Order: sequence, then structure tokens, then C-alpha cells
Amino acid sequence: MADQVDFERDAMQYTRQLYSAAMRMTRNPADAEDLVQETYLKAYRAYHTFQEGTNLKAWLYRILTNTYINKYRKDSRRPSEVDLGTVEDMYLYRRLGSEESAEAARTTEDRVLDGLVESDIKQAVEELPESFRMPVLLADLEGFSYKEIAEILDIPIGTVMSRLHRGRKAMQKRLWEFAKQRGLLPEDAKRP
Amino acid sequence: MRTDCDEALENLYLYLDSELDSVSSARIRSHLDDCRGCGPQFDFEGRLKAVVKERLHEDVPDAVVDRVRAAIREESAADLQ
Repeated sequence: MADQVDFERDAMQYTRQLYSAAMRMTRNPADAEDLVQETYLKAYRAYHTFQEGTNLKAWLYRILTNTYINKYRKDSRRPSEVDLGTVEDMYLYRRLGSEESAEAARTTEDRVLDGLVESDIKQAVEELPESFRMPVLLADLEGFSYKEIAEILDIPIGTVMSRLHRGRKAMQKRLWEFAKQRGLLPEDAKRP
Repeated sequence: MRTDCDEALENLYLYLDSELDSVSSARIRSHLDDCRGCGPQFDFEGRLKAVVKERLHEDVPDAVVDRVRAAIREESAADLQ
């Protein structure tokens, strides 16, 4: 089947990205592998319906996301019912900004950005409720546009924007906690 | 009254996510060059976004790629029969 050669050439370049997203969705390597494999098989079977010239990467992500939701979402939390609470804008930055000089502030920022390790960032994202985690992953891991995210998740663009915004704030709050635990913050910012 | 800072901060993520049209984007960029308050905030959020992207990535094991490829070929072989 000639399709198979084309498909492998065009679609297999995204394995690393899809696997990264699958890891953050399923939170474990075995499920991530299954999810990626199932995504590729579904995509291959439906490849004749894919329109040349449209966005193959976004199409693969749509299949990945739908497969994940159908297969792995076992909890009953409905996206609209999740409440992240109120977190102020630029949560992390505002908690670093107690330094007197611009240089000192920059030093603190550098220390925090350098000091947050992979597992902190991954955990902060993985802890987000799914409806917020997906837009954050698609925007921050993949750099999809809001319009593409809306199409992948099949939600209105306004919903993408509000979930992305709230998801990022919640993530920053978690990152601040990690920074605090790791002693990356200036003394006076350590107060809870 | 809304200031240039209000406008810039309201659009911070739209700006960082490249979702603004070129005119609005240029307006914010020129504000950031002048403003000692907004510049560092935008800078921090932009750097954080880059750090998140970089540290969320996962190397896909070769074995996973091989298995996906094998599954596709098996499917393809089944189609031919």
C-alpha cells in the first residue's frame, strides 16, 4: 500500500511530541506507549480521509486527544464542574518581585527558572484537572494556536483562552510551592 | 482611565502566544521598550513559557517508535491480503 510509505514519512516525525503529550496525559510510560500506538494506527486507518495540505500535526493531536478521552478518562469529573479557585494573574512573578534593585530581581528570577527541575514542571502540569491540562499542553508544549487548540479539543476559542489562562495561573501557583520547597525564593517571599 | 500598561498586561498572553495582529503586537513591543514595569514582567512570563516547554518534553524510547512502525506495517500487510 503506497499510503503506508507516505504516512510513515509524514506522520512519524511527530512521535516525540505525541509521546511527550501522551506522558503528561496518562502519567505513565506504559499507557503513553499504548496511547501513541493506538493514535498512529487510527490515523493510519483514517489516512485516506486526511486532506492533503491541512495540518497533519493538529489532526494527529485530535486523534490522540479523542483516544485519550474515550479510553483513559475514567474519572467522572466533568470539565465544566472543575473549580481551580481564584489565583491572581502572574502569580509567580508577583511573588518574586520584592527585591529592591532590578539586578537583584533578575537574580531571583534566574534562580527560580533554573532551579525548577523537570519533575516540578511535569508534576505541576499533570496535577491540573484535565480540562485545563489539555489546553496548557497544546499551547505550551506544542505551540498550537488558540484556533488549532479549539479545533483539536472541539471547544470554542473563548473557552480555550479562559482555560489556558486559568490553567497557567494554577500551574504557577504550584511552581511557586516547588520553588519555595527548594529554597529558591528570597527570605521574605517564603511566607505562605 | 486605562493606561498603556493596563492594555499591555491584559494582552500579555495573547502577545506571548503570538495571537495578536501585527499592529497590536508592535504597539505592545514599543511599550515594553519604554516601560520599566511591564518589560520585566513580559520577559519573565516569556522565559517561564520557554522553560515549561523545554522541561515538559520527553524523549520517546526507540522501542516505542519501532513498535509503532511495526504495527503500521502489520496493518498495511493485512490490507494487502
